[in-house]
Amino acid sequence: MAPMRTDNRKKNRLTAMVLFTVAGGMVGLAFAAVPLYKLFCQVTGFGGTPKIAAQPPAAAPSDRTITVRFDANANPALPWRFLPEKTQVTVRAGEPALAFYRATNLSDAPLTGTATFNVTPFKAGEYFSKIDCFCFIEQHLAAGEEVAMGVQFFVDPGIFTDPNTQDVTTITLSYTFFLATGGDGKEGEKPQQAKAPAPVAGRPVKG
Amino acid sequence: MADQETAAPEGHDHDHDHLPTGWRRWLFSTNHKDIGTMYIVLSMVGAFVGGAMSFMIRLELMDPGIQFNLFGAGEEAAYFQFYNVLVTGHAFIMVFFVVMPAMMGGFGNWFVPLMIGAPDMAFPRMNNVSFWLLASALVLLLVSAFTQGGPGTGWTVYPPLSSAEFHPGPAVDLGILSLHLAGASSVLGAINMITTIFNMRAPGMTIHRMPLFCWSILVTAFLLLMAMPVLAGGLTMLLTDRNFGTAFFEPSGGGDPVLWQHIFWFFGHPEVYIIILPGFGIVSQVVSTFSRKPIFGYLGMAYAMVFIGFVGFAVWAHHMYTTGLDADTRAYFVSASLVIAVPTGVKIFSWLATMWGGSISFRVPMMFACGFIFLFVMGGVTGVALANAGMDIAFHDTYFVVAHFHYVMAIAGIFAMFAGFYYWIGKMCGRQYPRVLARIHFWSFFIGVNVLFFPQHFSGMAGMPRRIPDYPDNYAGWNYVSSIGAFITTASTLLFFFIVWRTLSAGEKVPANPWGEGAKTLEWTVESPAPFHTFEELPDMTDKQAAE
Repeated sequence: MAPMRTDNRKKNRLTAMVLFTVAGGMVGLAFAAVPLYKLFCQVTGFGGTPKIAAQPPAAAPSDRTITVRFDANANPALPWRFLPEKTQVTVRAGEPALAFYRATNLSDAPLTGTATFNVTPFKAGEYFSKIDCFCFIEQHLAAGEEVAMGVQFFVDPGIFTDPNTQDVTTITLSYTFFLATGGDGKEGEKPQQAKAPAPVAGRPVKG
Repeated sequence: MADQETAAPEGHDHDHDHLPTGWRRWLFSTNHKDIGTMYIVLSMVGAFVGGAMSFMIRLELMDPGIQFNLFGAGEEAAYFQFYNVLVTGHAFIMVFFVVMPAMMGGFGNWFVPLMIGAPDMAFPRMNNVSFWLLASALVLLLVSAFTQGGPGTGWTVYPPLSSAEFHPGPAVDLGILSLHLAGASSVLGAINMITTIFNMRAPGMTIHRMPLFCWSILVTAFLLLMAMPVLAGGLTMLLTDRNFGTAFFEPSGGGDPVLWQHIFWFFGHPEVYIIILPGFGIVSQVVSTFSRKPIFGYLGMAYAMVFIGFVGFAVWAHHMYTTGLDADTRAYFVSASLVIAVPTGVKIFSWLATMWGGSISFRVPMMFACGFIFLFVMGGVTGVALANAGMDIAFHDTYFVVAHFHYVMAIAGIFAMFAGFYYWIGKMCGRQYPRVLARIHFWSFFIGVNVLFFPQHFSGMAGMPRRIPDYPDNYAGWNYVSSIGAFITTASTLLFFFIVWRTLSAGEKVPANPWGEGAKTLEWTVESPAPFHTFEELPDMTDKQAAE
């Protein structure tokens, strides 16, 4: 009996180590889900994730136009007034456009906000590209300060030829500002840090 | 467990370690039978607590309006929180501390080594660790329920309700830690089972000759190995979000609560197969024994379970149809979920084909096994309805879903557990169950659970939401009926506990094989109760017929 038991002991230990590794691998996979989901959304535009472009498209803009609407929200924990300067514009596909949002810090203390965003319909996310956006960085507003923040974007003309998106005539770009939970060093979660272009300067408005 | 002495088997002449006695025998156990017994006892304790919680829920829901004022007038909010804690605790206890310990820990530990002719599990000390981790997890869960309001999140623990903002205090954290311990217990147990089954089968017992119960445990162990760590990852993320300032699920930090749902259900769906697969294995053993025929289509049965295990990892988002998924995404998950019905159907038909032409004897285990087949099909077809994303928009978070999963898990799953109990209790303790009382138990339980859960289909179709302590008056009728079913089921369960006591104290002594020629697996070749050590000399299976 003794010889068989010893044989089993080595085999058993090896099997157990392989299985432990599998279990450990699955834990790793769960954590990897976080960047993997982010990457997936960025690449495919899934869930209305807009694309980030380094520069405007090289090709000449198309003649066809599309309407872009602007939506603004502030989380109740952030006492800011946050509105788009214009509620909608009509742009030619492929032509870069610049739109502004205004934010006012209504409280009597300086506050920092970060914005999340997406577009609807979700399927248009793949064709909506932002070149420069205030949402790429945190915004710091002093008490009572009002700031105009810009976003430069374009709509890829491919949206007209893709059978999935041919019916899209309006894209809505929506932002929500949150109170940046102060200084906990979880900057790593911000999705757009991959490309951090020179920020569009907020133009402080006097008075 | 009265018999502790090893009846000296032939050729057995080396010294035994002094057999442990007293509390050390249990706290430091390395014996698969003793550990299996402890798991079954834990499962009964869990059934008592989890059942009491559901009893209170049904008492509240029996009539419209709020029936209880546990915290005094004007403290409704505290009572509603407590109600949510009952809902949460009931689910966690039934899943993690009743069904899983009974099937994997209890019957798995007891009978896998016996059925493959192994002297014990591959890692007997780790086996002990698994058990005591689970017992500790149960204590932690119960402590969490009484800490600052308790975790009133539902067993799905979705943020933001489970985040620090809406559940401040340590209750959810204690619940998370409890689940970590339970998960560790399961993963270690799974490693033990897989290693035992792969490496320690007796000579001649090839993997395609081992009993289907062992196959079911093998597949379940792989599911545990791969699914529980994902839950552990998600739970850790929730813990750090709540306490250490991370923002995995917090939009203001760039996170997304839907990420939790993906991670949870990636674990959660395989979890329900973890719950039912050992039940499939038990039913195969029982149907074969009491039809006096080998199971129809052994390979089909074994690989149907493997297929269910695989595809079970690819259908998680059918729990998330209302979260705003893309239409194409939903279409995929609908198709994949419908596909799982196919191997499941293969199993149902194979059990029926086994019975066809067999010499059937309707002893109590067989009654529960046949009940399982019928009731699992009932629960399964409502699952097929729910798999359709369009239908699910209407059904999501209604009592239709509650009816579905209780039919497959609480009715069919429990029937499989009872089938296993009545089939194997003689082997475990040497005494047989009282026959008449057991039949009364079967019929009263059958009636009770059907009266309890069938009307919930109607409530759900009429739109009654889940997880609510009160409802509009038009839902009153079926809720009343359902609560009557709860009373019947409770009475039947108390009868079962009496039967357990009666069996242990005054049951008829039973021979090695009380079931006759249909019982062909190895556990029926050792005496009843099984000796403390069995198969210290490996049995030679090379000449024997394939085990069922």
